[in-house]
Amino acid sequence: MTELGALQVRSLGVTARSRRLLAGVSFDALPGEIMCVVGPNGAGKSTLLELLVGLRLPSEGSIALAGKPLSRFADFARAFAVLPAFVELAPEMTVGALVEHSLAHAPRPEGLVTRLRLALGVESLSQQPAGTLSRGEAQRVQLFCTLAQSKPIVVLDEPFAAFDPLQLREVLPAVEAIAGAGAIIIAAIHQLADAEKIADRILILDNGRALAWGSLEALRQRSALPKASLEQLFVALLSERTHAP
Amino acid sequence: MRRELALTLRAPVTWAVAALSAFLIGHGFVLAVDLYSASSRSALLSQLQMREMDPLAGIVHPTLGGLDLAISVLVPLIAVRALAVEKERRTFGALCLQTGSAQRIVVKKFLASLAATAPMLACPALLGVAFIASGGKLDVIESGVALLGEGLHLLLIVAIGTLAAAWTRTLAQAATLALVLSLSAWAIDASDGFAALAWLGGASSWSVERQLAPFQRGVLSLGSLAWLLIAVTGSLGLAFVGVQFRVSRRRRGLLGATICIAVALILSHATGWRRAHDWSEARRQSLPPAAVAGLRALHQPIAIELYLDRDDSRRKQVESDVLAKLLLARPEIAIRTPLDEDRTRAEAQRDDAYGRIIVRVGSRSRETRSTSRREIVTLLFEAASLELPNWGQPLYPGYPAVIAGRNRALLLIFAYAALPLSLLALGFLLTRRRIMR
Repeated sequence: MTELGALQVRSLGVTARSRRLLAGVSFDALPGEIMCVVGPNGAGKSTLLELLVGLRLPSEGSIALAGKPLSRFADFARAFAVLPAFVELAPEMTVGALVEHSLAHAPRPEGLVTRLRLALGVESLSQQPAGTLSRGEAQRVQLFCTLAQSKPIVVLDEPFAAFDPLQLREVLPAVEAIAGAGAIIIAAIHQLADAEKIADRILILDNGRALAWGSLEALRQRSALPKASLEQLFVALLSERTHAP
Repeated sequence: MRRELALTLRAPVTWAVAALSAFLIGHGFVLAVDLYSASSRSALLSQLQMREMDPLAGIVHPTLGGLDLAISVLVPLIAVRALAVEKERRTFGALCLQTGSAQRIVVKKFLASLAATAPMLACPALLGVAFIASGGKLDVIESGVALLGEGLHLLLIVAIGTLAAAWTRTLAQAATLALVLSLSAWAIDASDGFAALAWLGGASSWSVERQLAPFQRGVLSLGSLAWLLIAVTGSLGLAFVGVQFRVSRRRRGLLGATICIAVALILSHATGWRRAHDWSEARRQSLPPAAVAGLRALHQPIAIELYLDRDDSRRKQVESDVLAKLLLARPEIAIRTPLDEDRTRAEAQRDDAYGRIIVRVGSRSRETRSTSRREIVTLLFEAASLELPNWGQPLYPGYPAVIAGRNRALLLIFAYAALPLSLLALGFLLTRRRIMR
């Protein structure tokens, strides 16, 4: 891992074809932290992730890691590993070849990689052609290939959507292990229950704007709902916004 | 590179295209062999006619015609795939972040596409070996130069495919764009004989076929080589711009337009680079050695004016038979075609002046309406107040070959079945793992 430091995002925004997709999004994320981005469909979650990892040029705002602004693509490439949503594995390759390829570029320490292999069960799939995997198996392989890269920040777009609750119990510890090793994990998650299980801090997006940001406890305090679940908070915050003058 | 090679070499479409190309090339080869055999039968009766039996023109050129068709129509589908599938599968961004550079990925995809299309080049080479084994004769060097030309064509189309994939989002978009770009070169060539495309005649210097023509005659043209390599470099440069993530769409467009203009200017300039080397057997693409030495010894500038329309067959004959040979001896000869420069004037001058060929040496000139090579070269020396040097040419014996009976049957099996099926079998071996469970 090249750098360990806080990720600072300030007033990030983007406009495409005169349409404001994201505006004024700011947050910090610390090493070892898991941050979940939640929001209704079209809120700008995937757009935010694309801007974060440098695959899209923002119209405004800045991104810095450990106090150093990221501007060139090489800066982003040093900082981020990304798992986009709805990725299709290359059917021309076996799982073993895909895993080997992901480990060819600066992998995490051997012990951590072995732990990931076991948690995500990729070893048993290694001889399988990637095109024959089930959706859950393919997602486990993708997750391994992303988490195994030694980058200070791992960005995941809908990483858990393909898993059933039992699989999720095996997958979540793998993600937590990477955060435990000092990486920042930023995940856009549609299922609020999944986000609640794993998030240290939560960013709620709506209509391209940050509606709330903080730990679950902080969000509860803000909404004056001390025992509310993330889903209840989400509904409350959205209706608050809808009914605002 | 392992990922890139796996994506291209383990894709069934790669081998389907290779087998179809092998069939096309094989078909061109078989037709050429039959025609060549028929001509050879009568040529064997006459010593003079035997000398006309040129395997480069009779066998290699038609066989490479099939390859040319495959490169123009089928290769774009393979060339775009390596990069376009990454975009379509949404893995391109993650891959670039993993390796740290989108440009590095583009280069790897370009090389992988080249590797996937390379078997096509092996087909004419293997057919050539089969022809020799059946009793025919091919000159390795001149055939190699002709194959090099198609190799450069392949390089260009793969670069264009990579460029198309870099600027589009899906495989379908990329394949369409690559095919349009590849076939536009064909449209320029088609404009020669098709009235509806006559307006493209002015773009003839942009014809890829025109750049490949010297290679097909066994002539290594440095200008054409440079033209094709510049076009490849320009295409890859445009591809590099197309995959930039940290550049706005407008800036990418401006950068792309700047590269297009710069490459167009360099290519226009490169059409004037005429230095070439005749590597044909017995230097038969050149003028007689004494005439070449005499022309090179002339110190005055030489200029030739052709008052012939672009689509006049006499002009084509002068260009391929006289000017090409003169340029091998004196690459700096100034050639003017005044009727191309002013269409209205061209209409007006289709009178008594039409058909003139004026040769100038220094301040003296001569005029003829003959398209005979010897006549025009004689006038050049006359204008320089010299006599035509010895017109004797090194003897090209000619190589008639009658492939018939069992040999023909074996060639047919090899061209139509063994070669395409071998490629399909190789493809099956490489791709079967993706369907096993």
